[in-house]
Amino acid sequence: MTWTQSVFFTLALALPASAWAQVHYPKSVTYMGKDPLSRDDAKRGRAEFLKSCSFCHGPNADGGAHGPNLIRSALVRHDKDGDLIGAVIRDGRPDKGMPSFSLDPHQVSDLVVFLKASVSASDSAGEGGPARDYPLKLLLTGNAQEGRKYFEGAGGCSKCHSPSGDLAGIAGKYSPIDLQARFLYPEGIQSTATVTLASGETRSGTLVHMDTFAISIRDAGGWRHSWPLDKVKVKVDDPLAEHKKLLEQYTNDDVHNLFAYLETLK
Amino acid sequence: MKTFLLVFASCTGLFAQGLDPAALLKNPTDTWPTYNGDYTGRRYSELKQINKDNVKSLTLAWAFQAHARTLKATPLLVNGILYFSIPDNVWAVDALTGRQIWHYSHPVPGDHIASRGVAMYKDRLYFGTPDAHLVCLDARTGKKIWDVTIADVTQGYYLSVAPLVVKDRLIIGTSGDSADVPHFLEAINPEDGSVIWRWNSLPKPGEPGSETWPNEEAMTHGGGPMWMPGTYDPELNLVYWGTGNPHPILAGGGREGDNLYTCSIVAINPDNGKLVWYFQPSPHDTHDWDAVETPVLFDATYHGKRRKVLAQASRNGYFFVLDRATGENLVTTKFVKLDWAKGIDSKGRPIPDPAKEPRQDGSLVAANMDGATNWMAPSYSPQTGLFYVNAFESYSIWYLGLTAYGKAEGHQGGTAHDFWSSAKLVALDVETGKPKWTRPLGDGGTYSGVLTTAGQLLFTADTSGNLLALDPATGDTLWHTYAGGAMNSSPMTYILGGRQYVLTAVDSVLYAWSLPR
Repeated sequence: MTWTQSVFFTLALALPASAWAQVHYPKSVTYMGKDPLSRDDAKRGRAEFLKSCSFCHGPNADGGAHGPNLIRSALVRHDKDGDLIGAVIRDGRPDKGMPSFSLDPHQVSDLVVFLKASVSASDSAGEGGPARDYPLKLLLTGNAQEGRKYFEGAGGCSKCHSPSGDLAGIAGKYSPIDLQARFLYPEGIQSTATVTLASGETRSGTLVHMDTFAISIRDAGGWRHSWPLDKVKVKVDDPLAEHKKLLEQYTNDDVHNLFAYLETLK
Repeated sequence: MKTFLLVFASCTGLFAQGLDPAALLKNPTDTWPTYNGDYTGRRYSELKQINKDNVKSLTLAWAFQAHARTLKATPLLVNGILYFSIPDNVWAVDALTGRQIWHYSHPVPGDHIASRGVAMYKDRLYFGTPDAHLVCLDARTGKKIWDVTIADVTQGYYLSVAPLVVKDRLIIGTSGDSADVPHFLEAINPEDGSVIWRWNSLPKPGEPGSETWPNEEAMTHGGGPMWMPGTYDPELNLVYWGTGNPHPILAGGGREGDNLYTCSIVAINPDNGKLVWYFQPSPHDTHDWDAVETPVLFDATYHGKRRKVLAQASRNGYFFVLDRATGENLVTTKFVKLDWAKGIDSKGRPIPDPAKEPRQDGSLVAANMDGATNWMAPSYSPQTGLFYVNAFESYSIWYLGLTAYGKAEGHQGGTAHDFWSSAKLVALDVETGKPKWTRPLGDGGTYSGVLTTAGQLLFTADTSGNLLALDPATGDTLWHTYAGGAMNSSPMTYILGGRQYVLTAVDSVLYAWSLPR
């Protein structure tokens, strides 16, 4: 937790429940993949939760200073259409210090949807890699000057790339998270292969497949050709070979500095 | 009357199709009675009808189409019948002809990632389900005898493990890592499904191991699932099991410490469920690198002394050899390129480098979330003295996921973006832990396990789906074929009617390979 977040959290806890509606909340579970909380009823439920529940259970329902984590709650996970959660909201839990709340059935229903969606978001968080809108401010920790030095020097990037050529405006073309992934390893760029047949004749094309036993290329006309590897000689040109080598060499500082530099190429 | 009873008993014995428990103590030849073939986890068969000299002529004996999702189980073979599972399904198939005998199907909710297979005790079969139930079937008919709940599916629990039969009990562990829940191993009575004992991956407050957690909240939600079947040494009377990663998976900030007994190899007394020793391959894991890979049992010489050992090629990329009576570490070596550890500590454990933990601005690490190996079976051949593991070399950038309030985002607390990876078969000298040879298996990954046989053969598959028979001494290819898909399972072999078969599951098709008649 950062200092700012810590102060915000402390202040927020000190606020009376009625003041919660005026507090601006940051988005919650979004950076790590899909967001089951985007449904309208889940959004209404979140608003109600922030007003009535979050001062004990935390704004993300994952526990607060006074109330338990509801994402891990067996009662929430076993609830069907509010049959368990509804009773707790209506009757409270006096033995544990939870008051009752007079909410209408629609409000309860929205709260149930929000809690179920929060469970779903928590259980699926992180699947499928980082979200496209992963915040730049979290990624931008490097030094652009150092990144430029690495680009022109130790990294050897300038041997193939140019900030005024192929990389001009690169930071505007890709989201920050995609730019970081792409400069490290730009997937989807195919190798080319030249195959020398027993006759001495050569064929070149895009490498489609190669294993221990066979090679397949697609020629300029779009046709596929395959040979057993023990009958031909093959030369593969992998445009990503230097990127693969760099993966072995980068320090995390190199990665962050280089990213900071590339982000300046707008 | 006595005479009648004797005759009756011998008749029922003659036609019995149940499993003789003695088969579990033998090398698998005409019977493959448990997930790994026997208790050692070696996946080595003494069969040699198919061998280095004739494997070139290997041909298809039959194929069985399951018409289902990918088959990841290893079939059992008992009295000429194969038994195997895919989540929600179990089949009995004639091992001679490949014809279906029965098919049990019962769709349930829960995680359907995998079922590693079934267990057999006498004339009954046992398997875990996606909704964390243990089901008992009549092996003759596939009819359900009982069904018990092992854990709560709404908390993300399910059962991928093939139960391990030890004496008069089944040992099974819970799987699942979509929620921050505690996991456990249980001994179950095969008669009625009742629980005999439970061992928890996470200690209770005040118990040994609890000092490796910062507080009770973190410890009681710390994970440690069991994804794979364990092994057993009947002489030492110890069951060996690997446990999975701690929770939240990638966010280690709220769980400072080693986080016992997650990412550990544990030795358990099967009579009472008590922990006898443990070794932790990944203290304070923050990369999802379970230590559940098969703990393989064999004997070897270390510093001039013959030892009963246990070896694991762990998902974190390290190969460990332990004395299996005491847990003493004998060997720790890397079997792929790695950069996540700063060195090895005095107990033989890698020391995690905090700089390689997931970060909000991304941390580049040599190894992706699949790790250096995964659930595919390794093999140890006493013929070569080598340990074989299909391994990955890969790079990923790892992101720490925290909420605006500094808590782990969801159960995972982050994510990773994978870059280039490649696979290779590594043959490790078990005494030095160093590779004797490696054979590239192609770019990408393969979840193909390894089988070795006395016929001087090693069976596996590459990342392109080529089924391979290799020379286990050199890695040279002796036979190969492409069966139209990926082998996401581990091969097995058996002899039936005088003919040796090698079984490989490709997608959901089971292929039986044999020599031409």
